[in-house]
Amino acid sequence: MSHSEPRRLVILGVAASDSHAVANHLIAHALRGLGFEVENLGTCTPVEEFAQACEEHPDAEAVIIGSLNGHVHEDLRDLPAAREAGRITCPVIVGGNLSVGSRKDPRDLERLHALGVDRILQDPAQLLPALDELRASRTADADRQRLPVAS
Amino acid sequence: MTKISYLPGRSGSPGTDALPPLAESVDYIASLGKPTAARVLTDARDAGRVAIQPRCGVGGHEEMKALLRELEEQAAPDILTLTIDSHTRLKRFEQALRSLNRAPADLNGYPLVSHGYLRGREVNESVTAPLEIRHGSPDARILFDVAVASGITSFEGGGISYNLPYSKAVPLAESLAAWNAVDTVCGELAALGLIVDRELFGTLTAVLVPPSISLAISVLEAVLAARAGVRCISVSYPQSGHLVQDVAALRAIPVLARTYLPPEVDVHAVLHEFMGVFPKKRGNAEDLIFYGALVARLGGASKLITKTYQEAFGIPDTRANVEGLRLADRANSPLLGFVKADEERVADELSWIVDEVADIVEPVLAAPDTMTAVVDAFAAGRLDIPFSASRYAKSEIIPKRDAEGAIRYLSTGSLPFGDRTRRRNSELLEGAGPKGSGLKGSGGTGPVIGSLLTGLTDDINYFPTLFGEMQKETQRATQKETQNEDAE
Repeated sequence: MSHSEPRRLVILGVAASDSHAVANHLIAHALRGLGFEVENLGTCTPVEEFAQACEEHPDAEAVIIGSLNGHVHEDLRDLPAAREAGRITCPVIVGGNLSVGSRKDPRDLERLHALGVDRILQDPAQLLPALDELRASRTADADRQRLPVAS
Repeated sequence: MTKISYLPGRSGSPGTDALPPLAESVDYIASLGKPTAARVLTDARDAGRVAIQPRCGVGGHEEMKALLRELEEQAAPDILTLTIDSHTRLKRFEQALRSLNRAPADLNGYPLVSHGYLRGREVNESVTAPLEIRHGSPDARILFDVAVASGITSFEGGGISYNLPYSKAVPLAESLAAWNAVDTVCGELAALGLIVDRELFGTLTAVLVPPSISLAISVLEAVLAARAGVRCISVSYPQSGHLVQDVAALRAIPVLARTYLPPEVDVHAVLHEFMGVFPKKRGNAEDLIFYGALVARLGGASKLITKTYQEAFGIPDTRANVEGLRLADRANSPLLGFVKADEERVADELSWIVDEVADIVEPVLAAPDTMTAVVDAFAAGRLDIPFSASRYAKSEIIPKRDAEGAIRYLSTGSLPFGDRTRRRNSELLEGAGPKGSGLKGSGGTGPVIGSLLTGLTDDINYFPTLFGEMQKETQRATQKETQNEDAE
């Protein structure tokens, strides 16, 4: 990323009941290495804290939530309310569960989308392409609506 | 079991107002007829053997006594442990009491404050070995007071090491002040003739902790403890798994003590058997346990905290704990004197470790107020730990195993290392870093997220991989998946 481009800021954290810190720190480190500003809320972050961070950083391009302990649906129970109240307006990305051979039940993924999650990632390598895609589609939307591009 | 219907206490501090004065507790400990933990450690070091200690703790009072008695009868550890439950660690004494009355087996340790010091004394009197409290509290003042009244002579923790790995949002200034209060009471007890062993928790987050980080944090905590009056300090170090690095790190402890601590403070090296992902297969786990015990012996540790063959599956049962203690103690055998480390390489590694620790701690110790300097240095990343649970450490440093398995710095973050140290770390990691990461020191460009995570995951799974368990696991998972598909 060249210096002339606007800053890219993301909000990162691990779901409320989850204390897995390793992947969280590595993702923050890697994103910073790619030139992102990372507001890392760390482990055990409730939806309320993500919402507060969004209010403090209205230019955040995404909220990235990691979850490795299988409780993500319960942990994101308050997400629809935060979405509805307009407190989290940027895309929400959920990823995690790095264990080999794990199976995703498609119904679980549908339930996550229903809670207001935009992207569900199986592999951390998908994160940068997902951020780029979400940003491109938001920029395109903004252009269509002849609104100033959020940077 | 008798229900406790109330907690004696004043101003929200249950269990403390009924405590006896310190002098009474000191007399009580003298009357117990058992050595203090500090005495056991000194005797072990003088005898050239490694004292052995398990982790153990259950919620119920009778169950706790039975557990300690069985461990003592079956394995005769030198020091026994009271592991404290998570509610008590966080001063949630009411919740601990509720669980205790409803379902003590649900507690993941012994809620000493809720039980009260009279029961603490009963536990103490039920065995001949001295006891240590192991917990994880950022603020352990109440727990410490109850422990002393219970006649317990060793207490683990510190203002940095029991905050950053355990709490998300406790300011370091608060935990440092709380532990300073604990250490000050240790000074008062020393004046009354009782030496309390204060063990520091150098294991930190237990994930790939570079030796110089573990030891630098312990040096700072030890300096603060010594100034507050502590006279016996155990510096614990977590086994990395690399023989030369681990032996060097343990032998660095007395060297650092001579440099940074007053001579009247007695310092012991303690090894924590591998704290990361353990192999699942019993034989492999036992190999790792015995290997750890040999490392403790070669490193001149006064004490070893043991693991069990059930480590990969959770809290061990008594049988496994007994087996782990017995196996570790085998490394004390006089027959094993022929086991040696490569002394030249150990000396070289030791000098690097001591230099790295000096780079980290000396700017902090040069400041007029050490506690303030610690808080400021963590805020700036000049002090740091990898994978912190707390937001009060930046965790900019990224560890990585080198080709031989020793833990190095992939990123040194904002640590005040000189060029020489940075260069050595990059050289040792050449070829070991994730492909295309471009990470050299802290000035890296864009690391590939996936390969960084994969590389670190491999390092974390070092022992299961070394024993060939990871590949089998992949196969099993694939089989299971196929079976699931068949069932659908």
